[in-house]
Amino acid sequence: MSKYTLFSAQMKMADIVYHNYLLIPVLGRFGIKYGFRNRTVEEVCRQYNINTWFFLEIVNAYHNRDYFPTEKLRDFSFSDIIAYLVNTHRYFQKVKIPEIQVFIDKLMNSAPEENSKNIKLLDDFFKKYVEEIDLHFSHEEEDVFPYIEQIGQAIDSGNVAEELIERIINEPIEEYERQHDNLEIKLNDLKNLIIKYLPPHDNVELVQKLLTELFRVEIDLNDHSRIEEKVLVPKVKSFEQSILKKSGVSN
Amino acid sequence: MTVIIAVSQVLTRLGIKTFLSVIGIEPEYKELAHLDELDSVIPPGSKSYLIIEQSLLVKPESEYLLNIAKKYSKSKILIIGNRVIKNCPCSHFVLNSDNRQEILEKFQDFFSEKDDTSTVNGAEDILSDRETEVLKEVAKGLANKEIADKLYISINTVITHRKNITEKLGVKTVSALTVYALMNKLITPEEAIK
Ligand SMILES: [Fe+2]
Ligand SMILES: [Fe+2]
Repeated sequence: MSKYTLFSAQMKMADIVYHNYLLIPVLGRFGIKYGFRNRTVEEVCRQYNINTWFFLEIVNAYHNRDYFPTEKLRDFSFSDIIAYLVNTHRYFQKVKIPEIQVFIDKLMNSAPEENSKNIKLLDDFFKKYVEEIDLHFSHEEEDVFPYIEQIGQAIDSGNVAEELIERIINEPIEEYERQHDNLEIKLNDLKNLIIKYLPPHDNVELVQKLLTELFRVEIDLNDHSRIEEKVLVPKVKSFEQSILKKSGVSN
Repeated sequence: MTVIIAVSQVLTRLGIKTFLSVIGIEPEYKELAHLDELDSVIPPGSKSYLIIEQSLLVKPESEYLLNIAKKYSKSKILIIGNRVIKNCPCSHFVLNSDNRQEILEKFQDFFSEKDDTSTVNGAEDILSDRETEVLKEVAKGLANKEIADKLYISINTVITHRKNITEKLGVKTVSALTVYALMNKLITPEEAIK
């Protein structure tokens, strides 16, 4: 099986992990636990109440960076996509960020006074960055995603509330798109500060672990924003248009 | 500095101005909806920045652009459109599919004074004295305009320095540049932006 193979529903779930261990966190975000035995992807997904096709598209897109089935992904319901995105937020906040923080703390505590000051600078930098991430996520979860759910419900039910139309006119999803910050830039800066400018630290292994972690989170964040910008936003845009059309606001 | 925006939609023109103000460019604007008015807004021999919407170009696009480039040889041209034009005499393109960050970087590139062909010497990641000075001010939290006034240089020069600093150091955000400045004791913790 090559890098370009696509995973299928009849494949064994265990084989996905054997094939690409970087998918481990992706499975985690779907809430899938181990001990698959020889069950297929479809069987495991059914067990966890996951839309198999959505799962497969996400896993395939993550596995093969060139494969990004924008069209296919847009066929899924907002709830499927949003649930996945919110799980990813939790995964960053509850798992990844604390892990990175532990590494930074350990580095800071095991360095001689002079270098410890430098690591403190990175620590402050990271903490401020985490604040930005928290704000970014909570804005999405408290404002943007609920709005998107409303759009979805309006399309499903055919009932459009007056307030929803007003929101579409005054603050369409384009607004979110325009202000959607690229969270990877700062992460990349942090990596470079460590790789190039932090004076050598004796605990090389610890630095390696931290860097590896940062590289992985960057891939994950990238994947996450890609789904928000290339799948979610275009889908919302077209729904907004059809709601406006139906309500006779535009033609 | 004069920036000429030849774009049919008012909204797009507004968007462009917003982006430019983000990078600290506050030029004199001339706005056009057609290219045939170019002559009336560009004084001959002056150096202007031309931002042109691709769909306003007469086909074949590259030939048409070549004429514009020749006629206003001192000016720089940036095209906004759906795709990069082949054999184009200018190398600055902002695509409709670009995200915010990409657009910002491309505009910064456009207004930077560096020649399009010259690149930063890869092995030399040491900042020049002037760049170090600019970096210090950036780390203290000054905006491009303030730095320009303080160091008696133009905004374009500030942007050029910033671009070179970022390329040489490999860090992009102001807060990371501040960390760098502090680590290397270019500024004191009291001077740094919080
Ligand atoms: Fe998100
Ligand atoms: Fe986001």
